[in-house]
This record gives sequence, C-alpha cells and structure tokens, in this order.
Amino acid sequence: MLRYAASRLILVIPTVLGMVTIAFFTLRALPGDPAIAILGEFATEQALQDLRVALGLDQPLWVQFGRFVRGLVAGDLGRSAITRQPAMREVMSVLPPSLMLAGCSVLIAILAGLPIGMVSALRQGSWVDYLLMVVTISGISFPVFWIGLIMIVLFAHTIKLFPAVGAGSPGDLLSQAHAMVLPAIVLAAGGTAYIARLTRSAMLEILRQDYMLVAKAMGIRERRILWYGLRNALPPILGVIGVTFAVAIGNAILVEVVFSRPGLGSLIIKATFSRDYQLLQAGLLVLSISVVLVNLVLDLLYPLVDPRVRR
Amino acid sequence: MTTSATADAAPSPSLWIRLRRTPYLRHRGLMTGVVLTVLFVLVALLGPLLAPHDPLTTNLRNALAPPGADYLLGTDRFGRDVFSRLLFGARASLLVALSVGAISLTCGVIIGTAAGFAGGWTDRILLGLINILLAFPGFLLALAFVAVRGSSLGNVIAAVAIAYTPRVAIVMRAVVMTIRPRQFIEASYAIGVPTLRIVWKHVLPNSLPPVIVVATVSAAFAVLAEAGLSFLGLGVQPPAPTWGNVITEGRPFLVSHPWISLSAGASIAAAVTGLNLLGDGVRDTLDPFLRNQTSTNIFK
Repeated sequence: MLRYAASRLILVIPTVLGMVTIAFFTLRALPGDPAIAILGEFATEQALQDLRVALGLDQPLWVQFGRFVRGLVAGDLGRSAITRQPAMREVMSVLPPSLMLAGCSVLIAILAGLPIGMVSALRQGSWVDYLLMVVTISGISFPVFWIGLIMIVLFAHTIKLFPAVGAGSPGDLLSQAHAMVLPAIVLAAGGTAYIARLTRSAMLEILRQDYMLVAKAMGIRERRILWYGLRNALPPILGVIGVTFAVAIGNAILVEVVFSRPGLGSLIIKATFSRDYQLLQAGLLVLSISVVLVNLVLDLLYPLVDPRVRR
Repeated sequence: MTTSATADAAPSPSLWIRLRRTPYLRHRGLMTGVVLTVLFVLVALLGPLLAPHDPLTTNLRNALAPPGADYLLGTDRFGRDVFSRLLFGARASLLVALSVGAISLTCGVIIGTAAGFAGGWTDRILLGLINILLAFPGFLLALAFVAVRGSSLGNVIAAVAIAYTPRVAIVMRAVVMTIRPRQFIEASYAIGVPTLRIVWKHVLPNSLPPVIVVATVSAAFAVLAEAGLSFLGLGVQPPAPTWGNVITEGRPFLVSHPWISLSAGASIAAAVTGLNLLGDGVRDTLDPFLRNQTSTNIFK
C-alpha cells in the first residue's frame, strides 16, 4: 500500500518536469520577438535591447530554460508582459473559480452518470436504454459552448431561472452558487455522458459473470447483488474521472467565455489576444499541473475501490 | 455436412444479401453513423455547388432576415446567407477531421508500434513522452499552440493532431504488446523474416481495427476542437466561414434571431455524432465478445 503510494508520487515528478519542458519549448519556438510584441513595432532598438536583457532573451536557450526551471521551483513564472505583475500571482488569483467550476461539473457528472449507466445496463435493449444512449451520445458530440448558449436562451431568457452571465456578487455565497448552477451543468454534459456510457458497458460485462448468477441462485436479494456489481464496476469508473476532469478543465475555458465568468479561461483568452506569453505559459502550466495532481489523488484512492491494488 | 453441401451448390448470393448477413447492417448506431458521416463528406465536397448564394457577399439591407424560401436559414448581421456559409464552412471541418484522423493514425501507429515492438528503453522513453502529452488537457494544449503559432487552419490541424496522436499511440502500443508474444510472430522470426516485414505483414493487419476506432474518435474531437477554437476567434479568421465562427457571429442575436447559431451548432453536432457513432459501431461489430453477447443478464 505504502509502496504503491510512493511509486505514484515518484511518477509525478518526471511527468511535471516533462510538461514544463514541453510548455517552455513550445512557447519559445514562437515566430517573432517577444520584445517587439511587448513594446510595439515603433520601439527604438535600444529599448528593445534593454528589454531583451531584462527578460533574459539575449541568453542562449538552455540558459533561459535553466533560469525558468529555477524560477518555477521557487514558484516564480516571470511577470505578465502587460500588467507587469508576477504571472503566478495573476494565475493563482483566478484559479479558485475555475477549479470550483470544473470540480462541481465532475461531481455532477459522477452523480448523474452512474445512475444513468446503471439503468441503461439493467434495461439493456429497452426503449429506456435506447433513449438514454441517444442522450449520452449527444452529450459527447454537441459542442459545449453551443449547449451553453442554448441553456442561456432557455433558462436565463425564456424562463428567468438563472443569471445569463457573471459569477454572482462577491461575498454573497448564495448568488455565487446560483450563478454556478447553469455553467456547471453545461460543463458536466460531456462528463456525464462519458461516465454513463462507461458505467453501462462495465455493468453489462459484470452482469454476464457467473458470480452474479451464483448470487442470484443463492437467493440473495436483487438490490444486494446490484451493490456487489456496482462495487466491481467502480475501478474502471474511477479510472476515467481523471480524464473527465482534464476534459472539464479544457472545456471550462469555453464555458467561462460563454457565461462571461471570471477565471483562468478568461485570463488565458486575454493573454492570448494581448500576446502575453508569460501569462499564457503560467496559465497552461498551472492548469495542467492541477490535472496531474487530481490524477495523483485519484490514483491514491484506487486501493479503496480495488482490493487487488492493496495487496 | 449436407447443409454445407447445399450451400455450396446454391448460386453465390448477391453482394447485398451477403452484406445483410454481416452484423454491420443490423447495427442501428453504425448505420446512423455511416449515413451522417457520408452526408457530412458530401456536403463538404459538394457544398460550393449546392450553395444558393455566395457565402461572402454582404447585403446590409437584407441583414438578419428570417428563414424563408430564398434564404433557407435566414441571413446574418451582414446579410450573408447562413445556409451557404454553413455549406462552405463544412470544408474546414472536414479538412480538420480528415487531416487530424490521418495524422494521428499514421504518427500514432508508428510511435505505438515502435514502443510496443522494441520494448526496453525505447518503450520506456516513448511511453514517458506519450504520458506527458496525455497529461495536458487536450483542448488547452491545442489552444496554447494556436495562440503562439497564430490562427490558421494548418496550425489548428497541427495543434489538435499533437493533442490526439498520443491517444492513438497508447492504444496501438497496447495492441502490439498483445500480438508480439504470439507464436506466429515467433515463428516468423525463426524462419528469418526481417522485423520490418513482420510488422508490416503480421502486426499491422492484426492491430489496426481498434486503432482506427480511436482515430475516428479523434477526428470527431478534432471537429469539436476546431469549432471551439473558431468560437474563441482563434481558428480560421472571418469572413471565411466555419461552423465555429458562424456560431460566434450569431451569438449577439441568440435571443432575437436564434437560427444563425442554432443551425451552425446543429451542423457540428450532426457531424460529430456521425463520427462517434461510426467509431462505436465499428468497435461493437468488430469485437466478437460484444457481438455474441448472450442475454444471461439476470435482471431481465
């Protein structure tokens, strides 16, 4: 058990290092000069040169990389080219609402996806199964921002249930929760469908097993048998929650734009259009590393649902 | 014996009858997927011929016209025909889907085969790289790439292909690893067949089906990702039409003139649903375990 946890923890280090390397070199391989991007076309050569020295752009790439990694270890990802604030601080200030949104949507996806998949598997081939599978294939196939726009028209304009934009007034938890409902549901659509389909196929596999037939023959009540079945379906389901979270983080950018919510999505878009690569890089890294950490936590939870890992 | 003898004596059945005996035509999802995908491809190829209007011609006096006989899906804020814009926009989506599918299939198969067949350090390094790329949220990686490289269709394709190639590679590696220890591979080695020839003749044909399914799904994701990037203004730049930027153009008029965004979104939804159903259906019909699923379901 401890060895398992340790091996998982150690695996995180090369992954994060690899991600940092890829993020650094992808964003450094940019065409054009960041100094010109910051100061504009009409800056004097002297000013450009000064800024390059200040940003360390005059150094060889590997020196820049070393400096970047050293800064990263200390939690310093450079300064935003536009606001001149530390990029890390800017990112951290908008991280909580984004993580909250993605977290809520994954929770909804689990709570809705599990029962949908169970019902589908138990009623395999019936019209209920058919209908649920049509709904879930839509959940995977429809663009999340389009679902968001439709939900806004339906539940914010036609029926005035939820606010169409914003994240509620600051300090007012109730209004924040109220504003979170619609975006979280929209963001959960894909995950719900994904988990429902996986639960269905996992349950169908389990229902065919001999031990289920034995349990039935022994006269164990159906509800109890179902509970055994669900417990056996949990490991593969836990396995995809990490993927669901990663997809939710990516899609959160789109949902935040649709609902005009503050968050990392809006920050990344802003950074993109103002060519603020430091900020973009910080946003990409912080979000990606948070996905790795969530996956680590899920890995550590694995022994709870799969006794084989416990040994 | 007698039944097989009579079957041999009978005239060989027509292609249609033979096709109907396969599991493919009976699979409703697969058939829906095939129809939607064929429709998607046809619309993209024939779109310019079918389009009743030029997708770029503006006519401000006829802006935001409702759907009617002349403008099937109405016009947008500049008076451009939405229906024609969608027909032309299909090309970008199809191009992205095909390119990403083909690139992720080719690169994924090569990387996956190399990792699975070589084993040892080659495998460890490649698997490490695959896992690092998989750890990035796909859409976020694509967005960062396009943000730095600039928004063009080529960059969108490259970005999404980078994000989805590892998915194909990891499946390919897993399949190759199940084939490698089999006896016919060992036998080929024993009679001195070169490794590349073994891969080409024995490993690839036996491992392609599941990988093609993953590539189909990555093509579906590619359509969604392209639409998402276009929606954010990072895809093909207006006025050139894509399904994603038609949704963006319709966004301010969502409540008053919903047909613009609705029809564009429905086009994306139909194309992606088609590709997903195609992938699912092929997987279902190819997998003998799923196909012959006997109903020992104790709850029925």
